[in-house]
Amino acid sequence: MSLRIIFFAGALLLISGSAWAAPLSVGLAAAKSNPIAPQMGDRISFHSVIRNDATVPLDGLIAWISLVQVNEGREQPVDLEDWSAHKAVTAASLSPGATLETDWPVRLIQAGAYRVVVSAVTRGGADLTASPLVGFMVLQKPVVESRRVLPIAVGIPLLLLGLILSRRLRGR
Amino acid sequence: MKSIGLIAGKEGGDLLLSLRGLGWLLTMAAVLSAFGLLLVSDTELSLLDNAQVVYDMGGIVTALGALLAVVVGTDAVAGERERGTLVSLLLAPTSRNSILLGKLGGQAIAWGIMYAIALPYFWAVGSTGQNLADGAISVALLGTPVVFGFGFLAMGLGARLDSVRSSLLTGLVVLLLSASPLLLGPSLRQSAIGRGFDAINPFSSALNGYDAVIIDSQTIVAQMPRLAITLVWLTITLWFASRSFRRISR
Repeated sequence: MSLRIIFFAGALLLISGSAWAAPLSVGLAAAKSNPIAPQMGDRISFHSVIRNDATVPLDGLIAWISLVQVNEGREQPVDLEDWSAHKAVTAASLSPGATLETDWPVRLIQAGAYRVVVSAVTRGGADLTASPLVGFMVLQKPVVESRRVLPIAVGIPLLLLGLILSRRLRGR
Repeated sequence: MKSIGLIAGKEGGDLLLSLRGLGWLLTMAAVLSAFGLLLVSDTELSLLDNAQVVYDMGGIVTALGALLAVVVGTDAVAGERERGTLVSLLLAPTSRNSILLGKLGGQAIAWGIMYAIALPYFWAVGSTGQNLADGAISVALLGTPVVFGFGFLAMGLGARLDSVRSSLLTGLVVLLLSASPLLLGPSLRQSAIGRGFDAINPFSSALNGYDAVIIDSQTIVAQMPRLAITLVWLTITLWFASRSFRRISR
């Protein structure tokens, strides 16, 4: 039994050792210029640094940004179509020790709590390398405000109705 | 020129001062109010939905303006004939084209009032969104030829058909067909027939222009090809109305 445990622990070490030796590393951080409390309509940006930690060049690098909403009961991946026109970056080759730095501009469309991640793969690599998750909150911005709509929606018909009534009274 | 102004003033005055005209305007305002009030209850609108709301409002205003033009245009010719007042107008010492242009002046006043009523609604639903001013300008630029075209069509139909009912019905059917892109989803409009219909339909051109300016943030100048289609529509309906109006004998 103890031999089995030792063997299993050894296998785990081997697997995790291969993970530690992943050829890519991806760092991600929110831009310093981002607003402290972003709201709908704001534009924010994230900065990623992809580094080749291997000893050989890595060809066919593809990195892309993903966004998930994490509000309770509304957990879902977000379709970035409306959020960003810059969803991926490619590099033909990345030399050993070289880095690929990318800015990811995002326009905030919907209020909520979000996590953003940048993932990278290479043509020959079997594993996906993901950055740490970076979270942010988007505050609700009133888009159709009742305090603006109600006076117009009620006031204009009432005004016209008043005109009609005054015409009728004057006609008598 | 003076006669055109006189007729336009009378037609516009009818709309502003008569109970019937004010009733039409009240109905238009009630439709816009209903649309606005429907939106108030929706707290989940995203930023792009806000642009969508302004686009929808532009489409509704254009459709209502065209509807008003059909009703006013039908009333201006077929209605006058049924009331027996058209003959005296035709006997006035002025050309048929002057009468027609005067009637158009009345329609222009009607559309101007309709547009002025719509502006506060645009502001109410779209002031926190994007491209509101450009959207309102594009509705004025692309919507006006569409609306006037329907007015000319209604006047032409009123001159050719025997009754108010038949000319109004025909005008409304053409308007319903033309405004169908308001109801059809984008997928249906992407079919070969849908694209062909879009290419020649002035209403579609106006709607696509609103979409491009309000939602896609394109410039108004880039909408000139769409404006050209609406102007072609205006020219054809003006020609139709002018020819039909010259044929009136009673």
